Amino acid sequence: MNAPQHVTDAIVLTRTDYGEADRILTLLTPTYGKVRLMAKGVRRVRSKLAGSIELFSVTNVTFVKGRGDIGTLVSARLQTYYGRIVQNIDRTMLGYELIKQLHKVTEDELESDYFQLLEQAFIALDDPTISCDLIRVWFSAQLLRLSGHTPNLRTEPDGTKLATTQRYEFSFDDRAFMARPDAPYDADVIKFLRLIFNGNIPHILARVESNAEFVARCQLLVVGLRRATLRE
Amino acid sequence: MHILLIEPDKLQAWACVRALERAGHTVTHATGAQSAVQLADEHPLDLVILELQLPGHNGVEFLYEFRSYPEWLRIPIVLYTFTPPHELTYAATLQEELGVRQIIYKPSTSLEVLCLRIQKLVSVAP
Repeated sequence: MNAPQHVTDAIVLTRTDYGEADRILTLLTPTYGKVRLMAKGVRRVRSKLAGSIELFSVTNVTFVKGRGDIGTLVSARLQTYYGRIVQNIDRTMLGYELIKQLHKVTEDELESDYFQLLEQAFIALDDPTISCDLIRVWFSAQLLRLSGHTPNLRTEPDGTKLATTQRYEFSFDDRAFMARPDAPYDADVIKFLRLIFNGNIPHILARVESNAEFVARCQLLVVGLRRATLRE
Repeated sequence: MHILLIEPDKLQAWACVRALERAGHTVTHATGAQSAVQLADEHPLDLVILELQLPGHNGVEFLYEFRSYPEWLRIPIVLYTFTPPHELTYAATLQEELGVRQIIYKPSTSLEVLCLRIQKLVSVAP
């Protein structure tokens, strides 16, 4: 009896060599989490730079599960290719960086939210009007949010509500802001952080007035928090 | 030494191939990332010279693809590019993660200097 075929959308996370002509793909899917699939005979015939299994794309794949960890790719059909990413070297590099971050900090069993996160990152990277810095901060924040590590953006560690007139420093130990007169963060930055951590997409954040300034002011905090919190 | 030159501009490529051949190397020329991977599959290589700005798939995509094959992990890569150094914000990643050995800014480097730098790189290679 033939093994059942599974059909799903997928995003390529990694491509590695297997033998003379095969490649093993790690794909992120909304329904199966991460799956590892053998793509047989693709290397010598046609490099993965071409064809349906592109990076920075969403592909509809059909596969059969194997006895071990690795299934077999049966077919692939390109659905959406975010081709403008590769027209810019910085955006391409950031794209690789985000894929790597997501792959490193996640287990094989994943919620569909991670698939949507990466797809949303591609959409943002594909739009040259959205800055790389904004995408980088937003992506780090979403990784923290999805893994349940959203910092406290409402109260100080002792429960005191954050005030609009105060300045704050961020305590990495308490994952919360603490009032200090000459501290770097004010109410506007914290408000922007709330917008980011609420799951708003980069296109919404890019509409916020002075978003570039806010991104610059909270970049170290958010990226630092991601590095300190998630295993990389 | 066999060099894979990835250069989209045919005139630039022609001049570069001539200079490298005069310096004693054999050169295979590719105009894009896709054909470069195919040519790398067909010819044993000692060095890759790469322009980052390519039509279609760019040089960074080529680098990630190229380095995903174990037998190409140790082949030195030289960026010979029109991308100005101040715009290469990812230079450290290119060098540390993707094994780019030298980044040479094309407009300020003559072909003679390119050949000399490649000679020097090869002579100190492990």
